[in-house]
Amino acid sequence: MRRFIDFVVRFKNYITLCALVVMSFSFMNVGNLSQLGGFRAVIVGSIGWMQSVFAWIPNPVALKSENLALRELNLQLSVEAARSRQSTVENNTLRKMLDLPSYTDYRLIAADVIGKTTTQLRNYATINKGVEDGVQEGMCCITDAGLVGIIIGTSPHYAVLQLLLNRDTRVSAKVQRTRVDGIIQWEGETFLVLKDVSRSFDVQAGDDIITSSYSARYPANVVIGRVTQVTDEANSLFRRVVVEPAVNFATLEQLFVVDAKPNVERTDNERRVDERLHQRTSP
Amino acid sequence: MALQFDLHRSQFVTNPVLRFLAYAVIALLLNVVHLVFLRFVAVSSVTPDLLLILTVWIAIVEGQFTGMIAGFLCGLLFDVVSEDVLGSNALAKTAAGFVAGFFWRDSYALQTLGSYRFLLVVALAGGIHNVLYYFFYVRPMQISFAMFFLKYGVATTLYTTVAAVFPMLYVNRRKDQ
Repeated sequence: MRRFIDFVVRFKNYITLCALVVMSFSFMNVGNLSQLGGFRAVIVGSIGWMQSVFAWIPNPVALKSENLALRELNLQLSVEAARSRQSTVENNTLRKMLDLPSYTDYRLIAADVIGKTTTQLRNYATINKGVEDGVQEGMCCITDAGLVGIIIGTSPHYAVLQLLLNRDTRVSAKVQRTRVDGIIQWEGETFLVLKDVSRSFDVQAGDDIITSSYSARYPANVVIGRVTQVTDEANSLFRRVVVEPAVNFATLEQLFVVDAKPNVERTDNERRVDERLHQRTSP
Repeated sequence: MALQFDLHRSQFVTNPVLRFLAYAVIALLLNVVHLVFLRFVAVSSVTPDLLLILTVWIAIVEGQFTGMIAGFLCGLLFDVVSEDVLGSNALAKTAAGFVAGFFWRDSYALQTLGSYRFLLVVALAGGIHNVLYYFFYVRPMQISFAMFFLKYGVATTLYTTVAAVFPMLYVNRRKDQ
């Protein structure tokens, strides 16, 4: 016993290191904070409150960049508004002719971004709307420019959203012009990458990327960004499609939460079929 | 007044409970600074890791054992408030505290903190911290760890080392007085 105590005392630093490393791995295994339940709402609420207290401090660099972006957007929107009016008239006529159901008009919840953690690659934002305003986990956020991200944490008055520029981002997307499908991911820069696009598919720089109707998490046809570069990867059957996000995350100040949750019937059905197929293939 | 201040200061130096309480308060404040103010000094998403500097400081003043535990707690606290993967910062900062603890010398803490040695320890501990942190960070992404680390890990380490100049200069001036 004495020798054991001597051993522990002698190597206490290494034993402590091992214990702390094991504890860290155990926490990593637990995963994200969503598994901490109500504790998370308290954290989201506290951080949201702190960020709202200091939200008045302007960031001159961001303001300048936002000004420039807004001017460009204004010009672009005025051109698009005219086109859109024409398209709406045509669309209504064609829909009536084909007897197609109209798109669902989602309720939009306007919110201000009161805090952003875009530093050290933790790309989250806090908004000043929470459960009491109808915001729930899993709802997606958009701006007039396009897709922003998805709500991952809520408290009564605040919510935290995971921005598109996040390592956990996986959005089912398609090229608007050619309807080619792919998965939008982030690789650590200020742009996104459309994955799983075969070399034989037609994708060109300048193509718009929108959300696909295959996605159970995001509503279809929301603009994600524009293709800026297409390269054929060496030793691969796929292309590397670089997409510039439509939203300027550096200057993001206002957004809309789309009051639409994933279709439960659809996701349940997909899960059931998936399980059945899995049972059939497993020995 | 000066006498009172000296008394309080000596109590702080000799009383470990007061000291650890001060470390806890500083860690909480640095977390708030990280989340609310650090975006103003961000350079291409890279910011200095103030909690890492605190961990290295504690390891140099208190020793390896306390440094590791402080690193673990600071990291865990940051994981919780920054919505990061729970345990990733805790692991990286524990390792940083462990490495920095090798530079602890009894009664020589002020000399280390007030000299360029402090910056070297921060750079070394920061490098190891970022290797571990970014290794787990890029796991869900289909990209090369080496490229990602060279781009962000090295930049974060350098920025953290530059930020560590301020506490070093502070201690250096106090030491001379």
